[in-house]
Amino acid sequence: MAVRRQKRDGTSKRWPAGLLAVVAVAAALVGACERSPSGGPAITVVIAEYSKDHTRPFWQALAEQYTKAGGPKVDLRIVDWNSIDQQVSTMIQNNQPPDVLNLNSFSSYARDGLLYPADEVLSPATKNDFLEPFVRAGQYKGTLYGLPILSSARAFFYNKDLFAKAGLAAPPRTWDEFVQAAKKIQALGGGVIGYALPLGPEEAQAEWSIWMWNGGGDWKAGDDWAINSDANVRTLGFLADLANREKVTQVNPGKTNRTDGAFQLFKDGKVGMVIGFSPLAAQLDAEKKVNYGVAEMPTRAAKAVTLGVEDYLMAFKKKDNREAVKKFLDLYYQPDTITKWITAEGFLPVTKTGLERMRANPKLTPYLDALPNARLVPTTDPAWDRVKLDVQQNLGLAVQPGGNPKQVLDQLQKNAVAAR
Amino acid sequence: MKDRRWEALVWLGPSLVLIGAVVFYPVVALVGASLGRYSITGLFQGWVGAANYARLLAEPALPAVLVNTLVWVATIVSVTVGVSLALAQLLNQPFPGRRLVRWALIVPWAASLIMTSKLFVWIYDYYFGVLNHALLRLGLLARPVDWLGDDATVMGAMIAVGIFVSLPFTTYVLLAGLAGIPGEVYEAARVDGASAWRTYGSVTLPLLRPALLVAVVLNVIYVFNSFPIVWTLNDRNPGFGHDTMITYMYKIAFKSALRDVGLAAALGVVNVALILVAVAVYLKTVRWQEAGA
Repeated sequence: MAVRRQKRDGTSKRWPAGLLAVVAVAAALVGACERSPSGGPAITVVIAEYSKDHTRPFWQALAEQYTKAGGPKVDLRIVDWNSIDQQVSTMIQNNQPPDVLNLNSFSSYARDGLLYPADEVLSPATKNDFLEPFVRAGQYKGTLYGLPILSSARAFFYNKDLFAKAGLAAPPRTWDEFVQAAKKIQALGGGVIGYALPLGPEEAQAEWSIWMWNGGGDWKAGDDWAINSDANVRTLGFLADLANREKVTQVNPGKTNRTDGAFQLFKDGKVGMVIGFSPLAAQLDAEKKVNYGVAEMPTRAAKAVTLGVEDYLMAFKKKDNREAVKKFLDLYYQPDTITKWITAEGFLPVTKTGLERMRANPKLTPYLDALPNARLVPTTDPAWDRVKLDVQQNLGLAVQPGGNPKQVLDQLQKNAVAAR
Repeated sequence: MKDRRWEALVWLGPSLVLIGAVVFYPVVALVGASLGRYSITGLFQGWVGAANYARLLAEPALPAVLVNTLVWVATIVSVTVGVSLALAQLLNQPFPGRRLVRWALIVPWAASLIMTSKLFVWIYDYYFGVLNHALLRLGLLARPVDWLGDDATVMGAMIAVGIFVSLPFTTYVLLAGLAGIPGEVYEAARVDGASAWRTYGSVTLPLLRPALLVAVVLNVIYVFNSFPIVWTLNDRNPGFGHDTMITYMYKIAFKSALRDVGLAAALGVVNVALILVAVAVYLKTVRWQEAGA
């Protein structure tokens, strides 16, 4: 019967083929979990994609080097920044956390008890090589969990040609000079913009941090949130005035993102001033379209402040993975290795040895000088992970026509205090 | 006899496994997640019963998002079906180059939605966009418009893209419907001396009813569930003012201060229920009219 049917329509042939496929997939899945010949179960490493050109090649090579040196296999996942929060959350939800994770926050993971303290997964030499600000910014309740993977620092960029046309001799040092400069550049006409202010959801917290600190305010006063302090209300009012009263910004700054908004306009030569960072400088140098200078941030405070940004590596506590993870991290923190990658991506060092090596490049001097004094956002507080998103989603409303800076900051403060 | 039944199960097995894996399991997982509390990291912290649903109803942004979703779905589906009826009629006529035009119509459908959306971000751009440039040159605008930043225009701009990408599929469904109408009925209408409009209203449209039904139901589901267009074109705007239920759900889960997988899952369940109810009501209304006619 079965034989006859097979002859007639051939359907029963399809079933064994399907079965084979199922078996093959199952075998592949089992194979993935199998112990690799050299050293224990494979480890999962999740890295954010900093650039299409450099991120994957570097980590791929590192993973191969690691396995060759006797480590287990590495399941390497390069994830773009837009979806990394979602993917990591899903992994943890399904009880399959990565072994090593690269992200811009760490303290929520430390609070949930998911991470190894640094002492358990780093050799003392590696840990002692970290620059002091990054050791502080990686601590949760006094213990280091968030290991610095790389850093960046913002700087004030200005278009030298537009400055010359507007008769401006030097970049502004104070906010009054800044407003005057922006007005003169805007007055050049022809679609030229004084200052590109990106307070849209992409990175509003970064732009805001720099203005806030230079206006004499801060995120916190001691251990308490101080988002709606008088100084901060004044600063946000100043930014709203730039947009709506002085009209020296691009259209709708509360709805402009950084990468495809403010940076794009500056790269096109349309903008007098913008807050940038070293990767923007690299792009400008490659395109050779804009004659730009890099300066200290104009400030109301005694000394100009800039924002330092640290991204983290974290080691997840899983059964029997400590040795494998430790080996992997120590390999990454070899001075040659980490410096090679950070240089390729155009970011800044996080280690003392890295700082020395990168001094060789004079182009990086303004950023390297700024680095030891750069301030970081309060990533050590798990509530920050919510505050950041809240600021990204809502701060822009304050600088729209009719926006109310005090009301926006009051609401952010209220939510920050309530955040768990 | 008994082994015959087993045989049937073996044949059905692969499809049953597939249905179980891609339909049944996700639904169970979604409902399960909606009943739990999750840390911002995604760590499960215990069951909370219906608390997520109660919190969802108390979210201040929900009413505006619901209205946005209604406007989004109703406008896109109605305009798309209207325009597609005309397009299908046109493409059903023989004319030189028809094959080429039919192929060209597939392009917006074949392109990835993210790519199309990114393309439109640049078309709509205030400074670099070709739309402002063209309208200014034609004298239709006195000054450029920030299509994606101005609260008054952003929904309209997104709906236009939604219609653009929905037209191909809808037109093809209706074209297939037109091709299925036998030539004799038109001949009969001609013999009776019916005008072109009369023929269209009394012959074409009624016979197109099954195709129209399919087009509307599938479009309602597609458009309601559409994520990339709103996500990409609205990414610069703070708050939830221009979100639909789908992008709102994603923001709740991963991109807002709420960052709550449980709450987002509750909204996911509500979304599935909403779309099922909407389709059921639509089908019921349509059949009822049919019976009454």
